[in-house]
Amino acid sequence: MKKIFAVALGILTAIGGFVDIGDLVTNALVGSRFGLSLAWVVVVGVIGIVVFSEMSGRVAAISGRATFDLVRERLGPRIGLANLLASMGVTFLTFIAEIGGVALAIEIATSVNEVLWVPVVAAALWIVLWRVRFSVLENVFGLVGLALVVFAVALWKLDPDWGALWAQVTSFSPGADNTWTQYCYYAVALFGAALTPYEVFFFSSGGVEEHWGEKDVGTMRLNVFLGFPLGGALSLAVAAVTAVVFLPAGVEVESLSQVPLPVAIALGKIGVAIALLGFFAATFGAACETGLSVGYSIAQFYGWSWGKFVAPRQAARFHAVILLSTLVAVAVLLTTVDPVAVTEYSVVFSALALPLTYLPILVIANDPDYMGERVNGRLANVLGSVYLVVILVVAVAAIPLMILTRGGQ
Amino acid sequence: MPGRDEPGFRRQYDAELHLLDRQIVDRDGRPVAKVDDIELAVRADGRLAVAALLCGPGALGPRTGGRPGRWTTAIWRRLRTEEDPQPGRIDAALVTGTDNAVHVSASADELRVDGLERWVRHYVVDRIPGAGHAD
Repeated sequence: MKKIFAVALGILTAIGGFVDIGDLVTNALVGSRFGLSLAWVVVVGVIGIVVFSEMSGRVAAISGRATFDLVRERLGPRIGLANLLASMGVTFLTFIAEIGGVALAIEIATSVNEVLWVPVVAAALWIVLWRVRFSVLENVFGLVGLALVVFAVALWKLDPDWGALWAQVTSFSPGADNTWTQYCYYAVALFGAALTPYEVFFFSSGGVEEHWGEKDVGTMRLNVFLGFPLGGALSLAVAAVTAVVFLPAGVEVESLSQVPLPVAIALGKIGVAIALLGFFAATFGAACETGLSVGYSIAQFYGWSWGKFVAPRQAARFHAVILLSTLVAVAVLLTTVDPVAVTEYSVVFSALALPLTYLPILVIANDPDYMGERVNGRLANVLGSVYLVVILVVAVAAIPLMILTRGGQ
Repeated sequence: MPGRDEPGFRRQYDAELHLLDRQIVDRDGRPVAKVDDIELAVRADGRLAVAALLCGPGALGPRTGGRPGRWTTAIWRRLRTEEDPQPGRIDAALVTGTDNAVHVSASADELRVDGLERWVRHYVVDRIPGAGHAD
């Protein structure tokens, strides 16, 4: 019974924890502009994150080593350093976007400008990262993040023309108002939002901290195979409601405050309240994950002591990095930069950095020196290799598409 | 590369693949540093042996090479008080075993190869309430 509860909890937190500001903003924006014609990208992206999370989780459980620990062993100090700078840069950009997202969610609820909330949110976030236990952090924000299910309920209440929605899904084309380059640009953005590198840094580091062993691989797989796809379904629900409400009206989603409107139409005030709670939990939880991931990656690269399971003074440099990145993130947000714009750039730059993260994982997961008999099976290798090609194509296309479309305009 | 006949080291191994850039873990299982470089010595029989593990920016900089490497070394040198600073050094005799990590028989505090960690602990982290509180 206790075991079943633990597994259920893991799956539920994986669902709530999957969605972050990148998924929310990108899916809402894409839904309002392209309908569900890009839904296939979310499906492809979710399969990708499942494949590589399972691999990095297995590596963490069998070898006791987190992803960035191994990046340097396999790539050497020089290319490893380039990889560290790129991955940390993208994760830090996402961190800024998540803090801004929390502030925006509170702004929608209070009508007090988000810039005023930024220092408050950052202070609360830092206290959580400094003092709150890892398991509490993971479970509370994951579970409250499930409030986003309200988007699926809203979709059902809106009772759209399901046949027309399905026709959008299977159209695979940008529609009359958009060009193919815009379509491809947002495909890259959705892909980057689903596969953000911090997710595997956080996932594998958490596994090492919780001392996963060979016997935990089964539970880990259940969480990944069930939790992440259901989280992806939540993202699709967000895209679907904006497609139903905004697309016919010709309204483009440009701010986070527009995203709960379809819920308001379907479910009224109470729906909006639940949606905002979901926004808050999803972005705050992701802010914790990205903040920790910045610390994880640099500490693991240089071999520092790291983690939430030891007292901060035993991992002084790790905590100093977290404190410093929180302060810099506040400084960036206080320039009144639009958090939604930061989010849009962060998901595209994520797509650019993907090969750096996922190639070393694929190599290590095949190394019997680390993995013994638990090296990749044929399925994992075929999927992993196919995805690596896809990831490379996406990474190469990201910047040219960004320039061609002027950031999607 | 021929290795040395010491506990913890196999007789022969590829130091590039199995030693360099590995995590060093102290006797309590805590991460200390990475094997940023190694010091080799010629034994009486003329074969090469690992004499010590070198850690810290002073060892990593030269291995990184190029401008980032020179910068790493230069900044580290400037922050040290000694006339001719040397990178952190862990004698090979302290190594008790190598698997996915390199295990040593001393504690992180005894090894004293993590100057920045101690500095940050003393001047920053210890001054914040709750620094000694573990999960």
